[in-house]
Amino acid sequence: MSRKTLEIYSVELDGTKDTKQTDQEDDKKYNDLDLKKSHQKEELKRELDLDDHKLTSEELEQKYGTNIITGLSSARAAEHLARDGPNTLSPPKQTPEIIKFLKQMVGGFSILLWIGAVLCWIAYGIQYVNDKSASLDSVYLGVVLALVVILTGIFAYYQEAKSTNIMASFSKMIPQEALVIRDSEKKVIPAEQLVVGDIVEIKGGDQIPADIRLLSSQGCKVDNSSLTGESEPQPRSAEFTHENPLETKNIGFYSTTCLEGTATGVVINTGDRTVIGRIASLASGVGSEKTPIATEIEHFVHIVAGVAVSVGLLFFIIAVSLKYQVLDSIIFLIGIIVANVPEGLLATVTVTLSLTAKRMAKKNCLVKNLEAVETLGSTSIICSDKTGTLTQNRMAVAHLWFDNQIFMADTSENQLNQAFDQSSGTWASLSKIIALCNRAEFRPGQENIPIMKKVVVGDASETALLKFSEVILGDVMEIRKRNRKVAEIPFNSTNKFQLSIHETEDPEDKHFLVVMKGAPERILERCSTIMINGQEQPLGKSNATAFHTAYMELGGLGERVLGFCHLYLPEDEFPESYPFDVDAMNFPTSNLCFVGLLSMIDPPRSTVPDAVAKCRSAGIKVIMVTGDHPITAKAVAKSVGVISASSETVEDIARRCSIAVEQVNKRDARAAVVTGMELKDMAPEQLDEILANYSEIVFARTSPQQKLIIVEGCQRQDAVVAVTGDGVNDSPALKKADIGIAMGIAGSDAAKNAADMVLLDDNFASIVTGVEEGRLIFDNLKKTIAYTLTKNIAELCPFLIYIIVGLPLPIGTITLLFIDLGTDIIPSIALAYEKAESDIMNRKPRHKKKDRLVNHQLAIYSYLHIGLMQALGAFLVYFTVYAQQGFWPTSLINLRVRWEKDELNDVEDSYGQEWTRYQRKYLEWTGYTAFFVGIMVQQIADLIIRKTRRNSIFQQGLFRNKVIWVGIASQIIIALILSYGLGSVTALSFTMLRPQYWFVAIPHAILIWVYDEVRKLFIRRYPGSWWDKNMYY
Amino acid sequence: MRRQLRSRRAPAFPYGYRYRLDDQDEVNQNYLADEEEEAEEAQVLVVPDLEEEEEKEEEERSQGQPIGNAWWQKLQIMIEYLWDPERRISLAQTGQSWSLILFIYFFFYASLAAVITLCMYMLFLTISPYMPTFTERVKTPGVMIRPFAHSLNFNFNVSEPDTWQHYVISLNGFLQGYNDSLQEEMNVDCPPGQYFIQDGNEDEDKKACQFKRSFLKNCSGLEDPTFGYATGQPCILLKMNRIVGFRPELGDPVKVSCKVQRGDEDDIRSINYYPESASFDLRYYPYYGKLTHVNYTSPLVAMHFTDVVKNQAVPVQCQLKGKGIINDVISDHFVGRVIFTLNIET
Repeated sequence: MSRKTLEIYSVELDGTKDTKQTDQEDDKKYNDLDLKKSHQKEELKRELDLDDHKLTSEELEQKYGTNIITGLSSARAAEHLARDGPNTLSPPKQTPEIIKFLKQMVGGFSILLWIGAVLCWIAYGIQYVNDKSASLDSVYLGVVLALVVILTGIFAYYQEAKSTNIMASFSKMIPQEALVIRDSEKKVIPAEQLVVGDIVEIKGGDQIPADIRLLSSQGCKVDNSSLTGESEPQPRSAEFTHENPLETKNIGFYSTTCLEGTATGVVINTGDRTVIGRIASLASGVGSEKTPIATEIEHFVHIVAGVAVSVGLLFFIIAVSLKYQVLDSIIFLIGIIVANVPEGLLATVTVTLSLTAKRMAKKNCLVKNLEAVETLGSTSIICSDKTGTLTQNRMAVAHLWFDNQIFMADTSENQLNQAFDQSSGTWASLSKIIALCNRAEFRPGQENIPIMKKVVVGDASETALLKFSEVILGDVMEIRKRNRKVAEIPFNSTNKFQLSIHETEDPEDKHFLVVMKGAPERILERCSTIMINGQEQPLGKSNATAFHTAYMELGGLGERVLGFCHLYLPEDEFPESYPFDVDAMNFPTSNLCFVGLLSMIDPPRSTVPDAVAKCRSAGIKVIMVTGDHPITAKAVAKSVGVISASSETVEDIARRCSIAVEQVNKRDARAAVVTGMELKDMAPEQLDEILANYSEIVFARTSPQQKLIIVEGCQRQDAVVAVTGDGVNDSPALKKADIGIAMGIAGSDAAKNAADMVLLDDNFASIVTGVEEGRLIFDNLKKTIAYTLTKNIAELCPFLIYIIVGLPLPIGTITLLFIDLGTDIIPSIALAYEKAESDIMNRKPRHKKKDRLVNHQLAIYSYLHIGLMQALGAFLVYFTVYAQQGFWPTSLINLRVRWEKDELNDVEDSYGQEWTRYQRKYLEWTGYTAFFVGIMVQQIADLIIRKTRRNSIFQQGLFRNKVIWVGIASQIIIALILSYGLGSVTALSFTMLRPQYWFVAIPHAILIWVYDEVRKLFIRRYPGSWWDKNMYY
Repeated sequence: MRRQLRSRRAPAFPYGYRYRLDDQDEVNQNYLADEEEEAEEAQVLVVPDLEEEEEKEEEERSQGQPIGNAWWQKLQIMIEYLWDPERRISLAQTGQSWSLILFIYFFFYASLAAVITLCMYMLFLTISPYMPTFTERVKTPGVMIRPFAHSLNFNFNVSEPDTWQHYVISLNGFLQGYNDSLQEEMNVDCPPGQYFIQDGNEDEDKKACQFKRSFLKNCSGLEDPTFGYATGQPCILLKMNRIVGFRPELGDPVKVSCKVQRGDEDDIRSINYYPESASFDLRYYPYYGKLTHVNYTSPLVAMHFTDVVKNQAVPVQCQLKGKGIINDVISDHFVGRVIFTLNIET
């Protein structure tokens, strides 16, 4: 066992490192944590001492105070339940709701707005001390700001909670039950009420409800895939076979599935003390990575907050040095902060993400964590499971070999297109063997269900054969009825074949038919003849060679091969009444007639090759990680395109050129198949090298734990890694991955808990849809942010000019909030509905550190180009209103002080008229409304130009996104309501604006549109030019 | 299809052979053998070496201490970003790139300046310099008083000239433009009781009517240079805000009347108004605007508070009265009225 690997695990599996870093200041917590840690350690130690598998039934009875026949008494069970708690995995520790809520209150821009609000109150406090009759304006503003923070916080919290609830309801869908013996009675109770010492009975199809020590078993096989990742059925019996509790056959683990047979066992561990529970709770300690979009939004918040604070402070200093009162300067500072902070944006982003999440849920991607919506879009490596994700998770007949030919069978989901030649006599015999030598049966009562969807009792291979023959031959049950079975030897590991003897369906024909299937070489050994074109021929050397070639070829495809043979018993030796005895084998089992081979595979889902190709063209590396054998893994990888047809592995090259593997230049190979054994001995650097140098990688025979190593390796390459998984043991990897994708059907609850996303149909193709949506949302968020940031300049300029030039305030702080949280909200959400501009799946995934959501091009173009144009347009409306009322622009300069003096009631305008304070104030409000309308009108143009970043609007289609027009309509309607509906409410400082002022900014709006079209034209015309580099965001 | 399969040759002959020839259970056994090792490994993993872990953390923490170093490096990267002397690059742009940026921005902003200039020009094309486009906001005139020094509270002590001297100075200054000689020289003496309408082109200069300081009699400051402040009988001048085109109702000049706003009516026992009519004569209307009506002199009404209760604040409200005059707007205390307090100490 490699020490190195161990260290990697220990670092990653122990989550306390992360926890500690965050809690360093809290000493008490720290100590608690240590206590808990040692407690945990103790408990884990005890698990290793698990020796129940070594005990006899009597010892077990004694240890758990139970009785194997009568079970626990109810009273005793209740006692144990009270002591141990219910038999459920405790859900991962959730952040308390109140903390989540408070986080929304202080996250993002909220802290800036809180500062603004507090400054407002401080300003009022100072005013109040100086003058008891100070106006309450700044108190109101503070209250409004606080309300804005609280409301947007509540909104974001609500959105988050809603998406979490979907998940909660999802995981509680199937209540589990267990058949338990208590008080000598068999009872069905909810599995969570099981306690240690309970005697439970399980049967095929059940999930094992707790860790149990088996007491008796009839042909019990379990699927331990949720624990080990290996989906081969493993037999379970009451015998102690291995020192290691994980290996011995007499222990069944919680959450694994009993595939067939029945068993009785005593519960030895419940809930979190089960092996699975332990792994799951450790997985919850793996720190999950911050989502890329969270990083991006943080980056964006930093930029905007940086601009807000530095501009605010700069102008605070300017204002103070311009001899403004400190109090006034504080109020300017608040205005600047409010103008700079896009209050509505984070709420908008949340809505946008949840809209996409809804859209993805419709396409079978259930997103647990809203931010994960985008993560798929930036994914550059997908580590995918094979079974169930890339493949259909069932066996299906892939090839047949008879008459010295290989035929291909249809492995698609419905298998209706079986195109091979069925006219040969050999096929008639083969099909009969396939139908008869098979113990699998359809569960009754499924007449109207398509064959492929019918539930079958039997193992995977037999199911495949049953369905295959049902499709081709029709009613197999009827055929079996006509060919009554008289004797049968089931498959066992010593014989390695399965045999049954049937009467023939022809009542005149008194022959018995012996049909046999099994490991091909064992079958061949028992044959002396072979059927070619319906004729029995002696099995010659050439036939044997042909058989071997075919066998090799099918084996090389990673398929499970079965041989089939039959024999008509001579009527005289075996008359109708012959007593067949399967134990004595009183019938021939050699010198049979070989009929054919048949190979089966877990076929790839039909949508997967296409999806993998899409991933590849989207620059996403698809890595297959599977517990299967390399050969099968490689075959499936080739058939789905994870290893493309043209690429070779080092081994392939070596074989092609007939040279040793070591001599091959590793650079020539594009593909690599790495087994878990190799991976175990690998240093991280070697893994990095493999991940970096090969574009097509398959990891085979890996344990689920190794997935974690692979994920880390990928993350060291700066890749955004998506991981699919279903087992409990996958949960650390799911957690570690940038986006963990759990399977909705096959996935365990622990995996779903650890994942960020659940694929409801377990289909890889759904991931691709997710990628597409994720990329689209990233692009659209860019547009939304660009749209929102633009008006910041138009909102900021009034304050700057107000301070420096001394104009009457062009727009009030409250009015700004009506833009940010009123007219702009619906349009910015509408941009989320924008279709992709083109080629969204043909470009490389974005680089986590280089392709930012908000890059300097976006900021500069929004702030210094469009934003400035908007500001000018809005000022034009403002100047128009003032000039037409009597104050020409020149007269406004340095008017501020006299304008705002309450006692001064005869301020002269450009015509010599004298204005009272209230008349001026009303004009000021009209100015606010005018400026507001000016921004609104130009934001319509801004909205339209933001529909595309590169294409012309006319290429994109002006009317394709109807929601944009809803947004525009909402903008106009809200503005109309504010001006004409609420124009008389003085507190809102809106006034009824003359209709003509609504049109003043329209030429500017058109100018903005034209300018942006020109920009896009140059970008399209001169790709890679200076313009492209600096003007494309 | 068959041919294709054949041509592909069995790629991994020995490997596949082994797996296929073995039967399923054996494969399982094989696999279990690997699994076994892995499982053991997994167990150990389940019990991570916690102590070692702690040590590591401590190491990390102690490494994390020279934070200053990291900061210093960050700063250096920052400085390098601002100006990289080796590659002669500043803010990730070369000199050439910078000049291009400057050129483009200069061009862009020059164009924007041109656009805004054009817009302003067009705005002024639509605006008459003589008559405001809209006057609805100042339809009813506001009222203001003199002396005015930042406050509408008249607080003074009769016996301390320092407390009222600034009112006198202010009034004197204000009335300079009303000096009889100046008015006679600049303005015409137009007939009272009727509008002084001057037809003709908008751009023609308009004549203004005389309003002589002497009209204010006792409050003119001519007889009593202290405007009564020295005797505790202050003069306060009331002025109606100028509105272009404003005409009071014909035949009924706007009158001024003052009374105690709140409190005992008898706090003010007598007020003398000058001119005695206590009204603004019609001949001062209409006003034609600053540009053409250069010498327009706002008419005044002086209130001489000859008998006011002393040593207490008396709130006074002076209202304009007349047809079409609004003096009770709740939100605006200066439309058609003015409120001030007199607190005369002796």
